[in-house]
Amino acid sequence: MSRPIGSRALSRRRMLTGAGAAATAVAFPTILTPRKAGAVTKLTVRDPGGPYVKAYAAAYYEPFNKKFAGKIEVTGVIGKHEPTSQIKAMVDTGTYTWDVALLSEAAHNLLRDADYLETLANRDHPDVQEIPDEFKTEYLQGVDVYGTVLAYRNDVYPSKARAPDQGWKDLWDVEGIPGIRALRKHPFDTIEQALIADGVEAGMEYDWVRENGYDRAFSSLDNIKPHIDIWWTGGAQTSQLLSTGEVDICPTWNGRAQAAIDGGAPVTISWNEGIFNFEGWCILKGTPNLEAAQEFVTFCANARTQALQAPHISYGPVNPNAYDHIDAERAKVLSTNPEFLPLMHKADNVFWGKEKDKATELFNAWLVG
Amino acid sequence: MNSTPKASSRAGSGARGRVDWRSLGPLAPVVVFLGILFVFPVAQLLWLSLFNDQGAFTSVHYERLFDSAVYVKVLGITFRIAAWTTLLCVVAGYPVAYLLATARVHTRNMLILWVLMPFWTSFLVRTFAWMVLLGRRGAINEWLQALGITDAPVKLIYNFAGVMIGMVHALMPLAIVTMLAVMRNIDQNLSLAASSLGARGGQSFWRVYFPLSLPGVASSALLVFIVAIGFFITPALLGSGREIMIAQVIIEQMEELLNWSFSGAVAVLLLGTTLVVFFVYDRLFGLSTMSATGGIVDEAERRPGLISRFGAYVGGRLITLMGWICDRFSDAVEMLRAPRPERPRATLSRKVLWATGMLVLAYLVAPSFFVIPMSFSEAAFIKWPPEGFTLQNYEMFLGDPIYVGAMIRSFVVALTSAGLAMLLGVPAAFVMARRPMRGKGVVFACILAPVIIPHIIIAVALFYAFAQVGLVGTTIGLVLGHTVISVPFVVVTIMAVLKNYDTRLDQAAWSLGASKLRTLRHVTFPLILPGLIAAFLFAFVISLDELTIALFVSGGQTPTLPKQMWVDAIFKLNPMVTAVSTVVLVFVTSLILVAEFARRRSEKVMG
Repeated sequence: MSRPIGSRALSRRRMLTGAGAAATAVAFPTILTPRKAGAVTKLTVRDPGGPYVKAYAAAYYEPFNKKFAGKIEVTGVIGKHEPTSQIKAMVDTGTYTWDVALLSEAAHNLLRDADYLETLANRDHPDVQEIPDEFKTEYLQGVDVYGTVLAYRNDVYPSKARAPDQGWKDLWDVEGIPGIRALRKHPFDTIEQALIADGVEAGMEYDWVRENGYDRAFSSLDNIKPHIDIWWTGGAQTSQLLSTGEVDICPTWNGRAQAAIDGGAPVTISWNEGIFNFEGWCILKGTPNLEAAQEFVTFCANARTQALQAPHISYGPVNPNAYDHIDAERAKVLSTNPEFLPLMHKADNVFWGKEKDKATELFNAWLVG
Repeated sequence: MNSTPKASSRAGSGARGRVDWRSLGPLAPVVVFLGILFVFPVAQLLWLSLFNDQGAFTSVHYERLFDSAVYVKVLGITFRIAAWTTLLCVVAGYPVAYLLATARVHTRNMLILWVLMPFWTSFLVRTFAWMVLLGRRGAINEWLQALGITDAPVKLIYNFAGVMIGMVHALMPLAIVTMLAVMRNIDQNLSLAASSLGARGGQSFWRVYFPLSLPGVASSALLVFIVAIGFFITPALLGSGREIMIAQVIIEQMEELLNWSFSGAVAVLLLGTTLVVFFVYDRLFGLSTMSATGGIVDEAERRPGLISRFGAYVGGRLITLMGWICDRFSDAVEMLRAPRPERPRATLSRKVLWATGMLVLAYLVAPSFFVIPMSFSEAAFIKWPPEGFTLQNYEMFLGDPIYVGAMIRSFVVALTSAGLAMLLGVPAAFVMARRPMRGKGVVFACILAPVIIPHIIIAVALFYAFAQVGLVGTTIGLVLGHTVISVPFVVVTIMAVLKNYDTRLDQAAWSLGASKLRTLRHVTFPLILPGLIAAFLFAFVISLDELTIALFVSGGQTPTLPKQMWVDAIFKLNPMVTAVSTVVLVFVTSLILVAEFARRRSEKVMG
């Protein structure tokens, strides 16, 4: 029985025995050029592209290349959102299009459990120690924090009703706070919001499901289902909807709402009962550039370095000391601002790692049911 | 139902069981190509669905498909959406195709530019254009209220209608062009002959023209249906939330849960069900028996299956009925209007046809034309109405070497892969359409499969295949990947055109001493040129707008245009993409216009 796809051990063996394939490989241009001793190590980092390009170039790539000139050269390349399949395929086949990748904690959990990541081995570094434990693991070092917040049109509220700034209850309060609503078409965030709106204490919703199951969440969702005009899925949808006034109130990530605000739309963010996640650097298992990759990740932990991304993206830096170097005005929109962060609680990605499959199935069944 | 006379005795006499293998030779390249780059790698990936994490055989993933009702339900929703899309595309597209086929050459070539417009606007931009056009505060609602037709905004999208508007718009050009390619080969003298024998307009159309155009209808319906099955972004963005597509479930399992076994099982369910639908359809419309002169038709004639007999019976009755209805309808209109003998009766139906055609065309071009004023707007978001006037979107686009490079790369990749798809697909279509052969249905199903299987699965499978030969991150790899998904379009389109092709023309050329190659060049290809152009266009567009395979297979340092636009839309859709779309639209349209101009010049010169 041969299972080359999806099974690392077998595919590696196949690669070794695949002399024919190796011979063919010589005939084709390959991206894996063997490095000569003393040559510059080329390090490739996956980032989400778009607005991140400027932020990471300014904060990480350019300063790093300056410091390690002649030794390591890092390049950022665009990758798919949450590229877990792609990383699995790269590690399985030993084809490292990237050495380092920006991943969310949830994606990192998936890949770590399947043994597709390298340890960062930099815990003792003073810069890394400045990062709170909730923003790093042995395999993932945070870069930024994104908060799921309630965004609303401030030209509708408070003129139409009081501003919905008291948390998820307000999103569910269709009589007290009338308006066009959108909700995320995904169990992540939505299950949490449904439970909190129904009276579960913010932060305790995961324990509630662990002990009592999903019934309460779905009966709470039943209450709001007829009042949801748009189910959003991602992309640039929510910023577009908020900017054009297509919706009045909807949960979204703070960066998306900020994009609407920066574009001149009358939108306000309510951080109350927000749910935050972090994303950061992971190293692909078996990369030939492991040392350079670890060097790069450690470099990114520095407070001053982290501060340099702040002007470009509103997902706040994970190193709290970065705020010493960030303009006070800009700090007002960043998710890790010590004023907002305590209003929110962290998504339990261990819970989601176990429950996501089941929750997605239940959620889809509920939507189409 | 097919009234093309049985012409070729060559293929007809090819008795079953005595297959001339050499005549199947032209099929070999596409079989080898898809075998290596599609069937083998994808089968390996889907094979995983039979094993658990420990590598032991299990049926648990398949059992799960039926443990929760949701998967079958989502499959049902997917098929329902695809079926409605197909119906609307074909029913609304047919009059346009007919109009184009029967219009004068110059008019046709101008109108076809409008039909193709949706192709040149990226699907991301198109979908956002619909959101802004049809939204609560969108242009249409604003006009409706300004004209006093409605008091409050009408909900035009974020429901099933929204899904249809988006999907039909995306797929109707495919339907129209496929039908047109077949209609252009219908001899208009046949309708005249019917009239001279006393058939009224309705009967002459429904009993002569319509049956002859059926191969085009059948193939365009097939193409639209299988492409629609794979849609998920448009239903997600324009739907109500209930419109969950099966491709979305497969992607979630692949990417968010890294559960390739279960996603494989869902994909097998999708593929299996689609192929069942395809085989029933095939029995009804005889798609794999594309040529009326092919061997399988003989087989079907000898032992007509229950389904095909039933289909033929119902079809025949329906056609007679339609002809009757149309003639009675025109009688009624004639009675209402004072008879004016000086004006021929044909003008009325022609007027109705033009009106319908223009309405459909207006719908097709609306988002593209909507995007053009947007591209000069100063607003930070795509919104209605445009604000001010600025060239900054164009300056940003043309001043960004990454974007310009991505656009050039996308065009090069699309041209190359369309060329390759033609080289592989055209000979294969000739064999499929003309040669008797066993297992033709299976070969046809394999050729169609790349359209049915979600791109994410093809992308992952290709990554493993390419990794072994160092093709990951190369342009060659990207071209090959795009060819896999565009070859089916070439084969189906050419097969549809060949179904109406009168092989006696080839025979006449041979009998006059022309070699096979000369006959192909000077007789066959010129006659099927509309089909060849349509096939090339499809292949080109498929590659131009493809995202998933590009993300996996190309390294990242060399993005394609869809990839660049997609990542630029993380936080918000950059209004610059409207400028990108406008430039692509203007560029492609002028290319076509120049080609058309050159053609007319050369026609004039040649006399």
